[in-house]
Amino acid sequence: MSSNWADEVDGDELPQIITDANGITTHIEYRFDDDGKKIKITRRTQKKLIHDIVNKAAAARKKWPKFGKEKGRPPGPDPATTNVGDNIKLKLSSTGQIAEDVDEKHDAMKQQLQNKKILCRICKGDHFTTKCPYKDSLGVEDAAAVSSPTPAEEAVPEAEQQGGSKYIAPHMRAGATGAKGGERDMFREKRDEQPTLRVTNLSEDVTEPDISELFNRFGHISRVFLARDRETNICKGFAFVSFTMREDAQRALEAVDGRGYDNLILRVEWAKSSV
Amino acid sequence: MRPILLQGHERSLTQIKYNREGDLLFSVSKDHVINAWFSHNGERLGTYDGHGGAVWTVDVNSSSTLLISGSADNTAKLWDVSNGKCLKSWEFKTAVRRVQFSEGDKMVLLVTEPRMGFPATVQIFDVQNGATEAVSSEPLYIFHPEGPKITVAAWGPLNKYIVAGRENGSVALIDPQTGDIISTNMIHEATLTDLQMSTDRTYFITSSKDKSAKIIETESLEVLKTYTTDTPLNSAAIMPKVQEFVVIGGGQEAMDVTRTSSRQGKFECRFWHKILEEEVGRVRGHFGPINTIAIHPDGRSFASGGEDGYVRVHHFDDDFFTFKFQI
Repeated sequence: MSSNWADEVDGDELPQIITDANGITTHIEYRFDDDGKKIKITRRTQKKLIHDIVNKAAAARKKWPKFGKEKGRPPGPDPATTNVGDNIKLKLSSTGQIAEDVDEKHDAMKQQLQNKKILCRICKGDHFTTKCPYKDSLGVEDAAAVSSPTPAEEAVPEAEQQGGSKYIAPHMRAGATGAKGGERDMFREKRDEQPTLRVTNLSEDVTEPDISELFNRFGHISRVFLARDRETNICKGFAFVSFTMREDAQRALEAVDGRGYDNLILRVEWAKSSV
Repeated sequence: MRPILLQGHERSLTQIKYNREGDLLFSVSKDHVINAWFSHNGERLGTYDGHGGAVWTVDVNSSSTLLISGSADNTAKLWDVSNGKCLKSWEFKTAVRRVQFSEGDKMVLLVTEPRMGFPATVQIFDVQNGATEAVSSEPLYIFHPEGPKITVAAWGPLNKYIVAGRENGSVALIDPQTGDIISTNMIHEATLTDLQMSTDRTYFITSSKDKSAKIIETESLEVLKTYTTDTPLNSAAIMPKVQEFVVIGGGQEAMDVTRTSSRQGKFECRFWHKILEEEVGRVRGHFGPINTIAIHPDGRSFASGGEDGYVRVHHFDDDFFTFKFQI
């Protein structure tokens, strides 16, 4: 909780404890955090006495002193080893829908891929282009030009010939540029498929870790790109954040858009495809 | 429900077990440590330190006085549950893969794995006076069962049999006095990963890498129920009360995990209706495959241990108890 000038003026150093009619106790505490800022901590608690019948032996075991690595520790769960996780819903259903739901998606994907044969763009073999054994010797463009069923054999001597006469840097070799270009296109495609948010109105001090920290609470982030000035290396005021899950991105968009960050109000929107 | 995360291990869990009243939960993992937890709030009672290798298996006797553990350091150790003291350490030629107290707690069953020319053994030790007197270093019985490696084992009803699951997917009944194989039945197509008895031990559930879990009658080794999933299974447990469910869990092999997202990995505990063989629900949360599942003896909570090193203790919400399966 950030400090407010009003709190500082009114702030009482002593903790306040207020108990209302419903048995809810409110603790208000003030203290200084690591940066020397004054923070107000409000804790509302309600005590409820729950009676539970336990086995006699189990009750006796509760009083055992701790041992091993826990030796001498006070009773009660230690946050170092025991934490409470996020709420998880166990939806019970009689229809067997859980299984179907997943299977349907899986089947749909399968169907989509069923008609598609994996075809290498270089040698027309049944493997991915990136896995082609002739990737280095043959380019994508070369393959398009050569239509014979065994283009590799024809092209290899050519490459050797070039290599034999004069040194050519790997990226300048006949096939290499094409293959590289192809790979880059593939990366771009992949990137565009991912749900990406454009974050604008960032302050100059923002760094990539700041952005990740801000967004990773909503889900797994696959990429953070922060636009920086070429010379000064200062943030240009916008960034792209790619999530792996669209739902996470949507939640992040709703939560962060319009929020203040470093004295500026952030604007978050879906990134437009670069194509 | 909000699961309680227990972070007492640095490596993947191998087995978790509740004691008879269910107030304590014991967990073992590949990081050599045995942890004891209070199951209602996740508080750690203590650790049992002394093993020098991955601990594969653990069991507690019915009065919660003795704990036995089997480890890859070629030892099995008997512990005092209340104070973490090691009462006895047996040394073997190879790693101990499975331990279990017999009904009545007079004996323990140990399964050692075959390795480096040493054959697999099933050994039975007398631990009757384990809490007060010295325990014998010599086994009561020692068998060298022929055939594929035994991966899981448990005592049958009234200690009449030892039920052993093998690497090839078969289950065998072994006579605990002679070591003779009474009967054997091919149940699964791949290695058995877990075998848990029902409360009265007349039937048990097995899980296997062949993506299915099965309920089998002990006496006849007949398959009663089959639960087929889409992922290799590592553990299966029978809910003793409240609902007629079984809980099974697994997920993609640990070595393949990095290639897929956690969603695709199917790291969920699946609830199946025990009798109707229908899936009723799932609980997600682990980052890796689920290695072991245990259900509280009163059926009000369950715990799962994963390859990710976490134990998650789930106390069911109220709607779990009122749920009725509609046919």
